[in-house]
Amino acid sequence: MSTAPKTVQSKETSLSEKGLKAGSVGLIGAVVIGVSCIAPAYTLTAALGPTVSEVGVHLPAIFLVGFIPMLLVALGYRELNNAMPDAGTSFTWATRAFGPWIGWMGGWGLIAATIIVLSNLAAVAVDFFYLMLAQIFSNPALGELSKILPLNIATTLVFIALACWISYRGMETTKGVQYVLVAFQLLVLGWFAVSAFAHVANGTAFDATAISPDWFNPFAVDSFSSFAAGVSLSIFIYWGWDVTLTMNEETKNPEKTPGRAATITVLVIVIIYMTVALATLSFAGVGETGLGAGNPENQSSIFAVLAGPVMGPFAILMSLAILSSSAASLQSTFVSPARTMLAMGHYRAISPKFGKISPTYKSPSFATIAAAIAAAGFYVITRTVSENALWDTITALGMMICFYYGITALACVWFFRASAFSSVRAFFFKFLAPLLGGVILLVMFVKTAMDSMDPEYGSGSSVGGVGLVFVLGMGVILLGVVVMLLMYRLRPEFFRGKVL
Amino acid sequence: MRYVVGYTANARGHDAVHLAVALARNHDVSLDLVLVIPEDSPFNAVYPPEAGYNDILNQQAQRWLDEGLDLVPEDVPARAHIRRGDSEAQTLIDAAVEFDAAALVIGATNSGLFKRFTIGSVASSLLHSSPVPVALAPHGYHRMEPITRLSCGFGTRPGADELLDVAVESARDRGLPLRLVSLLALDGGDSPQLLDAAWMHAADRIAAVDGSPAGSQLPEPEIVVAQGRTIEEAVDRLDWEDGEILLIGSSRLAQHRATFLGSTANRILRALPVPMIVVPRDYTRHSA
Repeated sequence: MSTAPKTVQSKETSLSEKGLKAGSVGLIGAVVIGVSCIAPAYTLTAALGPTVSEVGVHLPAIFLVGFIPMLLVALGYRELNNAMPDAGTSFTWATRAFGPWIGWMGGWGLIAATIIVLSNLAAVAVDFFYLMLAQIFSNPALGELSKILPLNIATTLVFIALACWISYRGMETTKGVQYVLVAFQLLVLGWFAVSAFAHVANGTAFDATAISPDWFNPFAVDSFSSFAAGVSLSIFIYWGWDVTLTMNEETKNPEKTPGRAATITVLVIVIIYMTVALATLSFAGVGETGLGAGNPENQSSIFAVLAGPVMGPFAILMSLAILSSSAASLQSTFVSPARTMLAMGHYRAISPKFGKISPTYKSPSFATIAAAIAAAGFYVITRTVSENALWDTITALGMMICFYYGITALACVWFFRASAFSSVRAFFFKFLAPLLGGVILLVMFVKTAMDSMDPEYGSGSSVGGVGLVFVLGMGVILLGVVVMLLMYRLRPEFFRGKVL
Repeated sequence: MRYVVGYTANARGHDAVHLAVALARNHDVSLDLVLVIPEDSPFNAVYPPEAGYNDILNQQAQRWLDEGLDLVPEDVPARAHIRRGDSEAQTLIDAAVEFDAAALVIGATNSGLFKRFTIGSVASSLLHSSPVPVALAPHGYHRMEPITRLSCGFGTRPGADELLDVAVESARDRGLPLRLVSLLALDGGDSPQLLDAAWMHAADRIAAVDGSPAGSQLPEPEIVVAQGRTIEEAVDRLDWEDGEILLIGSSRLAQHRATFLGSTANRILRALPVPMIVVPRDYTRHSA
C-alpha cells in the first residue's frame, strides 16, 4: 500500500481573507448592514432622552455635530483596518503604535464599551418585552413587571444567556431577516414621526412646541459641559455607521460600494434621526413633567413612554421594532468583545484560555461566555445601585466609546507618521482626520469624566458622594488598570513587547 | 478510492477517523480529512469591524487537522483539507462529490446518555441527503483494525434488492464474510411463514448477484432473521462482532440517489453497538 504524504491542504474558493463570501453584497445590502449595525430604533429610545436632558431643544444640532468626530475617526479606523487586518483591532493597533500598556487599555476600552452596550441592549429588550406583553393582553400591569427589580434582573440575565448561547453556537442573522428588521424599524420610526406631527397639527399634542431654526445651532447650547455630554452621547447613536467603510471584498464593487453605502447610510440615519427628534420635541417639548422629553422618568427609554400617546393602538409596532432590533443586535454584538478577548488571549495579553475556540462550533468559546458573565455582572451592579440604570449606562457608554475611539484614532496618526505627508490623500486620511477626531473625542471624554463626578450628573445616582456615571466610567477604566498590572505580574512577556 | 472524513477536533471527529482507518484497511483507500469552518455572513456584520479572526481560526484549524492526521497510522494514506461553508453537512457533501469519494465517514454525537447513537444535526442532515454512502461511527469507537464482517439489513420494500447487490459486491471485493439480517419479521410480526419468506428471498438475491459477474466467489453468506417485540430488542438479540459493520438502505422517502434514514433504520441506529453505513437509494458502486 502506498503511503502518500500527510499534508494539510487549504482550499477556499471565491472567499475573501475575512472568510466572507466575496462579491455578495450590493449597495442596498451594504446600506442595510450599516443601518442594522446602528439599530436606530434602539439607539433613539436609549439616547434621545439623556441627550435632551443635556442640551434641551438643541438636540437636532447636537445630532448633526456628533457625526463629525465619528466620521473623522472612522476614516482613520479604515486605514488601520486595511493596513493591519487583525481580530484585536484597537488593541493590536494601539499596541503597535504606542506599546503594550496603552494598547492593553485600548483593548480594555473596546471590550468595556461592547460589554456595557450588551447589558444595555438586553435591558432595553426586556423593557419592551414586558411592554409588548402589556399591549398584547391590554393589561398595563404586565408592563409594570419590568419595574420589579428581581424580576427585571432575572429576565435580563435570561436574555443575555440566550444571546450568548446563540452566538456560541455560531448562529447568524441571515440576509432576509436583516432586510425585514431594518425596513420595519425605519417604517415604524417614520410612522411615529408622522403621528406625532399629526397630533401637533390637530392640537392634541402633549406640549406642542414650534420648531425654531435655533434648534439647529450647536453654539446655542448653554454650556460646554452640556455640549461635551451631548456629543459623547451622539457618538453612541452613530456607533455602527462605519461598518460599511471597512467592507471590501464582500461587496460587488469594492471600489465604489463601501463609500457610497456609507454616504447613503448616514443620509438615511440623519434623516430619520432629525425627523424623529423634531417630532418628539414638537409633540412632547422638553418639559420635566408628564410626557416631556426632559422628564427624568422618561429618560431611560423615551419610546416606551411616548409610543402609546403618539401612535395609539399601533404602539405595539414600536415595541416589536425595538424588541426585534435590540435582540438581533444583542446576538451580533456578542461577537465583538469575544473576538477582541480571543485576540488578547492569542497574543498572551490575558490568559490564553480566552484564545480557546470551540471545536464543534468554531466560535470563541471561553471568551463568549466571559463576555456574557461580564455583561450580566455589569447590569446587576448598575441596576442595584442606580434607580435609573439605563440612563447612566448609556452616558458611561458614550464616555467609553470616546476613550477607545480616541486612542484608536491617535494610534492611526502615530502609526502612519512616516507616510503622513507622502500624498494629499495620506495627509488627510492618515493624519489630519484621525488627529482631529481623536483629539475631539479625548477632550469630550475628559470633560464628561470631570463633570460626571458631580453626584447630580445623569440620573442623579451617586456612590459615596461621587456621581454614578463617573464611578461606572472611570471605575471600569481603573479596573482595567488593575487587571493590566495583574497581567503584567502574571505574563510579563506581552508587556515587554515580545509578542506584538 | 477515497473516503471523506468529516473531522472535528473532539471525540466525534476521533471516532470518525478510527472508523475510516478501519474501513480503509480492508481496501486500497486514501482518506481526506475535511474540517469545515463557518463562513461569516456579511449580514451579521461584526461591530466594531475586524478582519483578523479568520486568520486565528485558520491557524487553529491547521493545528486541529495536524492532530487529526496524527491519528491515522502510517499505512493509510491521508490528506487534510480546510473548507468553508454555512452548512457543515452541505460542505462535506460538496467535498465528497468533488473528490469523487466512495463514502463519507462521520461520528455520532456524544451527548446521548443512554443510547449508543445520538445523531447530531450534521450527521442527521447527511443521513437525509447525501449522494454517497454515509458511514457513522458510534460514540467511543476506538478500533482501527480492519473490519471483520459485513452485515446487511434488508426487507422487501423497493430498493432492497439494490442494497443487497451493493452488500454482496462489497463483501466480495473486501473478502469479508457476509451476514444478511432480515428485517422482514419486524415489518409484520414474526410468523413462521415470514421467516421462511425472508430466507427464500435472501437466497434468491445472492444467487442472482453472485452468479453474474466473473471473479472471486463469495463465501456462503449467513442469513439471520432479526426477531423481537421491538426493533431495539431485535437488534440487541443479534450477536455483533467487534469488527462488524451494518449496511442499511435508505427509506422510500429518499430522493433518487440520496440517503434518507427511514424510521426503522433510525430505531436500529439507536440500539446498534457497531458502526453502520447508510446507502443512498438507487446507489450503484462504480468501482470494482
